[in-house]
Amino acid sequence: MARRVAVTGLGAVTPLGNDVATFWRRLLAGESGVSFIREFSTEGLRSDVCASVTEFDAERFLSKKETEIYGRVTQFSLAAAVEAMDDAGLGGLMKADVPGGEVRASLGCDVSRTRIGCLMSTGQGSVDIFEQQIEKSRERGPRAVSPFFIPGVMPNSGAALISMRFGLMGPSFNLASACATGTHSIATGAMMIEAGLADVMVTGGAEAATRINTVAGFGNARALTRAKNGDPTKSSRPFDAARNGFVMGEGAGALVLEDYEHAKARGAAVYGIVSGYGLTSDGAHLTRPNEDGLGVTLAANQALSRAGIGPEVIDYVNPHATSTPAGDIAEVRALRAVFGERLAAIPMSATKSLLGHLLGGAGAVESIAVLLSIRDGRLHPSLNLDNLDPALGSIDVVTGAAREATVRHALKLSAGFGGHNCALVFSRAD
Amino acid sequence: MSDQKDLLGLFKTVAERVDRRSFETVTRESVITDLGVDSLSMMQIVGEMETELNVQIPDEDLVEIVTVGDLCSKVEHRLV
Repeated sequence: MARRVAVTGLGAVTPLGNDVATFWRRLLAGESGVSFIREFSTEGLRSDVCASVTEFDAERFLSKKETEIYGRVTQFSLAAAVEAMDDAGLGGLMKADVPGGEVRASLGCDVSRTRIGCLMSTGQGSVDIFEQQIEKSRERGPRAVSPFFIPGVMPNSGAALISMRFGLMGPSFNLASACATGTHSIATGAMMIEAGLADVMVTGGAEAATRINTVAGFGNARALTRAKNGDPTKSSRPFDAARNGFVMGEGAGALVLEDYEHAKARGAAVYGIVSGYGLTSDGAHLTRPNEDGLGVTLAANQALSRAGIGPEVIDYVNPHATSTPAGDIAEVRALRAVFGERLAAIPMSATKSLLGHLLGGAGAVESIAVLLSIRDGRLHPSLNLDNLDPALGSIDVVTGAAREATVRHALKLSAGFGGHNCALVFSRAD
Repeated sequence: MSDQKDLLGLFKTVAERVDRRSFETVTRESVITDLGVDSLSMMQIVGEMETELNVQIPDEDLVEIVTVGDLCSKVEHRLV
């Protein structure tokens, strides 16, 4: 009998709140996390908006020295992982001599650290530390570059730090697929549990890369939008006729995945099952999606097939929906190829309309929203869908208030620069 | 600048800066590994001292260093 992969813990650091409960409450309320960029001057840039994490208390999780070694993305990754491990009832694995470790009770069950791994990823890595050390070298010469520069900027520093905090000895690494990074990490983590390489995997993704040169880079590629009529909260508008780019966001989402029998044996609560995944590539263009979303269709069909279900039982879709003109239309074409005309009757929430685009963290945070919809029977609304783009045909995007709905099976899609596509099917455990 | 007291003071200042904690009670007799300074932090401290004093301390000088005083002596030697 194949192993089933349960989700037993969630953790989030987002522009709408630095824990899962706050994030979910504000997401359901339809609040926007988008604001003007305040960290640096946007003169000469093609975007003036971002979605930032605020009031993040790094010293709850890291020593002062560690806050200087690790970039913001790694700090978010650790914070989300700690919340997810606590939520899963595995927080007691945390070492006692690290920040926060002294307050945790010992573990009330028997789990082996050698069977727990970490696949907490970032797409871009610690851009902030790169900038800082390059500046230091320029000012004071290469000898002034910190010996912690390399371990600080390596994209796997999040997975390393999390595994060190909890003494995890299973497989841990980082993978990168740009804006699909978090989704690929969940899929790969689930695959590893199914393959018997681990019983528990801390998976997910993070990003904290809103810096002057990344905004310039995305902006010059014409991927970003600006405040609409002076209002930043109106800028991210997936599926709207006036959409014209995404909003750079930051944050992290962590999901504890666990062999279902392992979770049951220790009495862990289960949010849902990672019942299927599909991973494909466009194999065509560095940044432009296939105009029919062919790779996305293939990924979704693979995920449904692995879940052993047909498209007719999907109750909810959380699309990639970045608010770019080409991306949204390609994705809707892909969805129509999967669902046919029933697409018009399947509710969708465009999470990026509230949160901006968390890049490497997007798929993970959006998957958390899907799992909470399965748990609570509530779908969060999308913002700024004032005029549905007629080119998209008929689709059912939740707007206004949160909607009640029973979700047994849900589809989550992500697509990244490079033509990397990943689809996940989450299902109710019962 | 090159007397012993200054180098100890410089060590403390630099160590406090790079490790973000107090090194107030450190003496020349303090054993570096007992201070909770790991190998990378040690390299960071040496690098900062090199930059501050505008000297280069070759790696072979670092091999036999056990105490803070050992480090200060090596730096002192390179300053002459």
